[in-house]
Amino acid sequence: MGTYIVRRLLQAIPMLLIVSIVLFGLVNLAPGGPLSQFSRSRRMTAERAESLKRQFGLDKPVPVQYVVWLVGNDWMKVDTTGDGILDSHGTRKGILRGDFGFSYKTREPVLDEIGERLPNTLYLLGFMMLFTGLIAIPIGIISAVKQYSAFDITATTLSFMGQAIPDFWFGLILILVFYATLNNPFTGEALLPSGGMYTLGAEFSIWDRIKHLILPVTMGLVGWVAWYSRYLRSSMLEVINADYIRTARAKGQNERKVLYKHAFKNALIPVVTLFALDFPYMFTGYIYAELIFSWPGMGRLYYDAATSRNYPVLLGVLIIGAGIVIISNLLADIAYAYLDPRVRYE
Amino acid sequence: MNYSNKWLKGLVFGLITLMLIISVVSCAPKPAAEEPAAEEPAAEEPMAEKTSVTILIPDNPAEFHGYGAGTGFEEVISELVMLSVAEVDDQGNYFPELATEIPTVENGGVVMDEETWEVTVTWNLRQDIYWEDGEQVTADDVIFTWDAVQAAEIWSSSGDATESVVKIDDFTFQVNYYYPNPEYIIHFGGEDFPIFAEHYCDADQGYYEWNCTREPLSSGPYTLAEWVTDDHLTFVRNPNYYDAPKPYIDEIILRIVPDESVKRAIMDEGDADVHYWPAENNALVYQEEGNGTKWAVSPTERWIMKIFPNTKARGDTPGEETIPHPILADKSVRHALRMAIDVDTIINDIFLGFGEPVWSEFFRPPFEDSCGIPRPEYDPEGAAALLKEAGWEDTDGDGVNECHGCLNAEEGDLMTMEFMIYAEYGETLELAHQFIAEAWANIGVQTELSIVEGAVLWAQVEDGGIELAGNFDINMWDNGYAGVDPTAYLWDYYYYASDSEWNLANWTGEEAEAVAALVDELYTVDEEYRMEVFCDIALILEEELPAIELFSTLEMFGLSDRIQGVRPTAFDILTWNVADWTVEE
Repeated sequence: MGTYIVRRLLQAIPMLLIVSIVLFGLVNLAPGGPLSQFSRSRRMTAERAESLKRQFGLDKPVPVQYVVWLVGNDWMKVDTTGDGILDSHGTRKGILRGDFGFSYKTREPVLDEIGERLPNTLYLLGFMMLFTGLIAIPIGIISAVKQYSAFDITATTLSFMGQAIPDFWFGLILILVFYATLNNPFTGEALLPSGGMYTLGAEFSIWDRIKHLILPVTMGLVGWVAWYSRYLRSSMLEVINADYIRTARAKGQNERKVLYKHAFKNALIPVVTLFALDFPYMFTGYIYAELIFSWPGMGRLYYDAATSRNYPVLLGVLIIGAGIVIISNLLADIAYAYLDPRVRYE
Repeated sequence: MNYSNKWLKGLVFGLITLMLIISVVSCAPKPAAEEPAAEEPAAEEPMAEKTSVTILIPDNPAEFHGYGAGTGFEEVISELVMLSVAEVDDQGNYFPELATEIPTVENGGVVMDEETWEVTVTWNLRQDIYWEDGEQVTADDVIFTWDAVQAAEIWSSSGDATESVVKIDDFTFQVNYYYPNPEYIIHFGGEDFPIFAEHYCDADQGYYEWNCTREPLSSGPYTLAEWVTDDHLTFVRNPNYYDAPKPYIDEIILRIVPDESVKRAIMDEGDADVHYWPAENNALVYQEEGNGTKWAVSPTERWIMKIFPNTKARGDTPGEETIPHPILADKSVRHALRMAIDVDTIINDIFLGFGEPVWSEFFRPPFEDSCGIPRPEYDPEGAAALLKEAGWEDTDGDGVNECHGCLNAEEGDLMTMEFMIYAEYGETLELAHQFIAEAWANIGVQTELSIVEGAVLWAQVEDGGIELAGNFDINMWDNGYAGVDPTAYLWDYYYYASDSEWNLANWTGEEAEAVAALVDELYTVDEEYRMEVFCDIALILEEELPAIELFSTLEMFGLSDRIQGVRPTAFDILTWNVADWTVEE
């Protein structure tokens, strides 16, 4: 297994390299440019545009820009004054040495920008995933075991609704109901806050943090719980009718043990695939929840970088996201081996 | 292969633990920015309960000056903490801020050499203004900031006119201009030019990279206490503010709320006091009385919705040998297009009444009555007749005019064009876009509607920028100018010169050159003459229509009932008089 993991990690290196080339190319091929935010105003002259491009490294051909982004330019001389003379060494180290460049908007290092938002996104999405698991797994199991029961029909109906409801609309409805309409009967204040991570100016309190989590987590849960519970239900239905389950029952095994030790474990395999696909959201953010609930996370950073063509930030988020996708796939493969003893990695 | 349950459980446990640790770290209260070290004792502490005002804005400002990112909110926060040499009030009157008075010819502050036309302006600074760390604000700070802006190659018409900025003494500096600079009063002021502290900023970093533009030293009414990116900024009273007992409000919070509906809900709940630039449907609610909110609107407007007809063939960039646009180069067509637009319906039905018809660039003070130019009539029949006269008529009954003796197109060419807007403005502009296209279709002008991102529309030519490359037929977007004097603004859109990168409509010809010559005439200290020149320009623009002004959108804000003293302005930014704001519970 260890060899397998090492081999997969080594395979990830050329994979990430190819992904980085594709991402860099796509981002740079998209119409528009980072200087557009200045161009509408008289403040930008052609000279200033040239100067900014030189400063941002955008005056070089795209392949050269890619190399600089990857390995930096501190090993070569660059023209810092625009006179065509290579006068001093560059200052960029490249992403391979942890330098993702700086944001065109704030001139702050990209990793600092990401570092400010990533914990907020992990915090939100972490709870979203945790509660998805806590709610969707029991629903999926009970629905399968009690197929066509009132519970199953209700859960199925709600699941379809959950999948069909546009999440941004649902988020606004949550605010309308729990912030704008319902009040706390004791304090008269809105029942739940409209957004943000905590009450501004208030003392730190766990309850305050929880209150701010409820609505954005609920918004995400509706869709995710619907998906996961449906997947688990159909997966469980397949498994509980399998021969080995019948055998286990024939051997007189306790039903609980049959369901949770034998059936559930095998039914988890497709759910793990789904989880592996969703896991990168933990790092790249949930843009609708962040926009509607004013949550300062990675989704908004990405959205802002994309619309303003803030290439370094955009590429930083994308390449980290790509890395997480590769890692989560690896974790999923490892989980398959645990869940299904027939899977062997040699 | 033998996997133990313990191994997996350990992994799961580890992941959950990691998540909880991250959660706790995220939850932990952020340390507030270091409290400013005030050497001077603060003004007597008010005994009353702390007053706080929350302003809702949609986007995180990038820094404390508006030259870089351009989200529109850099100036808002800059006015809270930074002073300028001089400012403009909501009526368009200049007033000194760091300066003791506005220099004029009459008080000897402005001296012009009649032979060379060189002008010298002398500014005297107040001696009772201190940075929050107790250092005095001096002429060195003004010159330091000016040098930094110049080194950053930020263009301004004042910059072009300036020969040198010289320190006379700690509280006096002199600006030498090559020629009269119409914007000399807000050369070091207005919404664009906050003065930074020389002793605090690191000159080697350069203007754009200054840490002090994200963690500024305050000379203004407030100091930055906390900035949580994409969440909020908190400002508290500057104990060293020169104009005590102002500011009257103890704390200003800018809360970043991207969603417009959520902002409305927050205002309705009374959890915020200012809704920055509300959408029209929300403004309608704020306008109504008795719901805990009110609205405030600038006495005059700033942003004009304009149509830019490209007078040159697509892809013909300014300054090059040009080919006329087959349809739009004919000014009769431009006039017909304007006549076919029912501006009142756009204002009343799409913008819900929040707009004023505009037909000239010179529609707001100090200009009166749009230089006497009468408002053009909405006349679709007249527009069709004018097109026919110009050689555009639908003879085959397909609803689209063909060229029959028109000026620049081939005989039989169809009158079809692309009509473009930018996406970020939102639904109201899209509706206006469709409405105008239908109006034009009724007179035989077929348009293909397109909506592009601002990042594409205004990008550089080499980045596929549509406008600078002249790669468009008709665009519609909004713009306006800060300050009182439109000279630099005229440069943006109408100044024709063979080497000019401006003049977005690619307008050329004798009349364009005449306007360029008149713009040059504006560089004089004779205000009366300048007003005449502005109106001469207005008459040519009205005749030629290189841009079609439609209406102004109102500079408006949703306010809570308790906040007082907010005076929106077209000449500056909302927070220009934040020190005067009060709250009444």
